[in-house]
Amino acid sequence: MRREPVLITGCGITCAIGLDKSQVLESLLANRTGVGPIRYLKTGHTEFPVGEVSMSDEEMERAMGIAPGTPTTRTALMGMMAMHEALAQAGLSKDDLNAVGFVDGTTVGGMDKSEQYYLDFIGNDSRNAYISTHDCGSCSEMIADRFGRFKFITTISTACSSAANAIELAADMIRLGEADIVVAGGSECITKFHLNGFNSLMILDHGQCRPFDARRAGLNLGEGAAFIVLESARSAARRGVKPVAQLSGYGNACDAFHQTASSPDGEGAYRAMMKALDDAGLRPQDIDYINAHGTGTPNNDLSESQAMKRVFGECLPQVSSTKSLTGHTTSASGSIETVICILALQNGFTPANYAFEQPDNGVIVPNMNLEPEREMKHVLCNSFGFGGNDSSLVISNVSEY
Amino acid sequence: MYQSIDILSVKQISIQQPLCEEWMETPLTYTGDFVRAIDPDFRQFVSPAEARRLGKLLKRALATSLSALSEGGIQNPDAIITGTGFGSIENTELFLDALVREGEQMLKPTQFMQSTHNTASSLVGINTRSHGYNSTYSQKGLSFDSALYDAWLQFRLGKIENALVGAHDEMSPVFSGFVSKAGHVKKGEICSEAAVSALLEADSGKPAMCTLKSVQILNRPTAQELSDVMAGIKADAIITGRSGNPENDSWYSFLGNEVPQCSYKPLFGVNFSSSALGFYTAACSLKAGRIPSVMNAGKGPVPCRSILLVNVVEGRHYSFTVLEAVCGK
Repeated sequence: MRREPVLITGCGITCAIGLDKSQVLESLLANRTGVGPIRYLKTGHTEFPVGEVSMSDEEMERAMGIAPGTPTTRTALMGMMAMHEALAQAGLSKDDLNAVGFVDGTTVGGMDKSEQYYLDFIGNDSRNAYISTHDCGSCSEMIADRFGRFKFITTISTACSSAANAIELAADMIRLGEADIVVAGGSECITKFHLNGFNSLMILDHGQCRPFDARRAGLNLGEGAAFIVLESARSAARRGVKPVAQLSGYGNACDAFHQTASSPDGEGAYRAMMKALDDAGLRPQDIDYINAHGTGTPNNDLSESQAMKRVFGECLPQVSSTKSLTGHTTSASGSIETVICILALQNGFTPANYAFEQPDNGVIVPNMNLEPEREMKHVLCNSFGFGGNDSSLVISNVSEY
Repeated sequence: MYQSIDILSVKQISIQQPLCEEWMETPLTYTGDFVRAIDPDFRQFVSPAEARRLGKLLKRALATSLSALSEGGIQNPDAIITGTGFGSIENTELFLDALVREGEQMLKPTQFMQSTHNTASSLVGINTRSHGYNSTYSQKGLSFDSALYDAWLQFRLGKIENALVGAHDEMSPVFSGFVSKAGHVKKGEICSEAAVSALLEADSGKPAMCTLKSVQILNRPTAQELSDVMAGIKADAIITGRSGNPENDSWYSFLGNEVPQCSYKPLFGVNFSSSALGFYTAACSLKAGRIPSVMNAGKGPVPCRSILLVNVVEGRHYSFTVLEAVCGK
């Protein structure tokens, strides 16, 4: 029996290469990086380039109509911007949200404010409101409450695969009829906390990151948010909304190797991709493009390359990592890159792997240049997290259902 | 499709005696407002070298997980799904404190790595070489409920045959001050810690504690939605998250008083993983055929063959879990 497809009827994005879909598309087509010197984060580590969303917290508050002084966090603000765009495209009103679920992904949560007010939390009562915005779940509540009453809210925190896993749970809910519409994705701002954390692990590149390049020396942190509206075909037909893409399959697997390193043979990545293909009922040769996790760390890119070779063998499609454009948006990367895949499918192009120059032994050679005017049916989007939490999504053109 | 989802084992580390059910007859009682968990001897679960490296939350997660797996006779679960409100807050605090007070130099990678919420699920995956589904939820006091809901979906989709579902939260002295300022723990409640791991298997054919019938979660439900949910549930008894704090307890008034209601928070305290202890007490009660008197304010045990677990978080997130005694027992 053919399963009813899970459609995507809206999406929203904000990241270093654009504050909405049209800006992101323009940057992708121009192959223009958003990685550059630090502008907003207050840190002594100005030596690290980052991919920041080009708005201050205050500017985002104004854009979202939030009264000055209302406790909020950068992660929540970016999430609201992406949610706003996603709901508008899907044509969902405040009343509609009563029947809509929300699955968010974040790990940093409100750490931007906690690292700013930590000594106040200890010493006085002036910033108590920001204790309540520290945890991951409160961030999702702030995003949701800005738009109405969602019937279900939860938050996934699997580090850099959080948003991808949020999309998977949302799709499972739709397949089982637990909800007709679920908004899913993730949001994450750059904080001093994890900039320093990644620095302590020595996986930050001091220059522009170069995924899959022989001289790659680590990742650039990015930030942003993206949400997609997942909807059953029946509901989309009833509401008369046109899907932008469909989620044809997905898989989650555990590398079970190390808390911060990927296995040499990419076992978790291999299993996640195989599960996603199997779930979509597709063969490796059906995939037209892979948006790789491709962080730019020596370990990830080698391990992911091994996994891709195991899955695709001789029929490896075009591959690129868009993290050299956006920076590594950590918990949000799964949904940010899903939206990039949707834009690629809709507009018929494969994004370039910006900053790649020199091939490396054992590592795949990615798309060096943007490939325009390319008809695509199915693309694969990889998101791997600390702890070996690996997830893959297959996103397909709507004409395929 | 499965006939039943059997709960094979549930193990806990809490402010009651660890990895056992002594609390059912002779619970420990406390007067303080912040009480840390009683740790078991970790040597049977982790090597001394690993024990030095791992924070409390991770050691406890390993101990409850490995005990639950061993009792249920499963080595590599198809899914490992964990809830945690704060993750390893002690390591988070150490890293944050050093960052704020000493600046952006000399920060420790181990503290950062352990501050990531999904380390417990990953550690159990690494330790048991389990390559299956692995996920982590962080939604305040709804974190365990979210993990259980996910497992329930995976069973219904036929993607898994068994799952290790848990929730783990630790608490430091500094953060216990923060959570009471934030109202996460209220006046009269004990701020505590919890580590709970449950092993579930579809149609296991093994001796089980009870079976899982359903999980429902709602955000800000209307009165009508609440009564619709309640109309669809039949249970001999209800276990609620009442704690003795009037604001918290008022969230459960919609339950009326037709069905006997018991509570676990007075015994186990309050933390973001405490609903997992509610699940644990329900499973123990169904195995015993009655909710112990200590959960009924000492007014005698409550015989039951089915239990509705109700968890209300901050008056907005509602979860409803139905557990039933094993058929024919």
